[in-house]
Amino acid sequence: MTEQEVIELIDSSLAEEFELDRADMVPEANIYEDLGLDSLDTVDMVIVLEGAFNFKIREEEAIRAIRTLADIHRFVLEKVAEHG
Amino acid sequence: MPSVTDYCKTIEKNDENLFLTILMNIWCYGTLLLWTTFGILVFPFVFALCLLFLRWSADKLARWFIWLYGRGWLILMSPFVRFRREQMDQLEEGKPYLFVVNHLSFFDTYCMALLPVHDVSFAVRSWPFRMFWYSGFMRLARYLDVEGSSWDEILSNCRAAFSAGGTVLFFPEGHRSRDGQLQRFYSGGFKAAISTGVPLVPLCIDGTDRLLPPGRKLLRSCHIRLRVLEPIDTSAFAEEDGHLHLRKLVKGRMAEALKEMRNGKDVTEGGANDAGSAT
Repeated sequence: MTEQEVIELIDSSLAEEFELDRADMVPEANIYEDLGLDSLDTVDMVIVLEGAFNFKIREEEAIRAIRTLADIHRFVLEKVAEHG
Repeated sequence: MPSVTDYCKTIEKNDENLFLTILMNIWCYGTLLLWTTFGILVFPFVFALCLLFLRWSADKLARWFIWLYGRGWLILMSPFVRFRREQMDQLEEGKPYLFVVNHLSFFDTYCMALLPVHDVSFAVRSWPFRMFWYSGFMRLARYLDVEGSSWDEILSNCRAAFSAGGTVLFFPEGHRSRDGQLQRFYSGGFKAAISTGVPLVPLCIDGTDRLLPPGRKLLRSCHIRLRVLEPIDTSAFAEEDGHLHLRKLVKGRMAEALKEMRNGKDVTEGGANDAGSAT
């Protein structure tokens, strides 16, 4: 998958699960303040991303530091690269 | 926010009587203020007496009083608002349920007194706890503060309510809809129902957005309907992402039911009954 395809899969998966408006999903969007997610949604977000990319990320400490959509893109791109 | 002139034009456009609207607002706000003041003044004495004689827990008794307060509000509104309850026989008496209901207006919570169940713990955001005239009662009734509590606390309070034979009610949208359509659903209520193993009951309310939509102060005469949908056994959603499936299923059923209700379709079975009359 190319970087753009990974980002598109992330955004489309999150948009579908959390009924987000794609126009609001800019990289600098804060997932809590701008996209309206709550702490339980963060857990759901992990489930959604694991389902979309077929990897396990729930034990990753870095997830706790995620604040923006760009953080998610970066984090997933790193994981995809690790898994080849 | 529309000006009073705009509002009057809207009323005229809808063939409503301005005099009736003014009368309704004077009556409804006036009696609500009197009813609330009466409740606050009388509550401590009656509550103490009931504690002594009924031997219920303080929180259950507080929830009963809140339900009675809601019933009183329904009666006070009934000269101007027709209330209709549908499919109430879906509920079995004394059985713990987790309710989820769509949110259109501040008065949705009052309309929950249409339910035949009086032991209802509301799961609400933090701001209602800041209304000083209500907060003491909400804390006494052990309402759930979904913003100010940890998930473990919320789950523990749900379990306590269910083990005492009570019910819990969530507004899955988290805030009032601005256009009457269902908003995004949050997962909390669905996870709580699955974790505690109680049936989840979707409720659909329609009409309160015409009574008092967000951003407006003047009440309008309307018909309000509360429909109970079929309870859902949550044990079938125990897998890791089960709450996501349950959430989608419930939202689909509620959207369908609301569409029916707004198209004027009545229930064909399970019964419906009016709880008030309109002028």
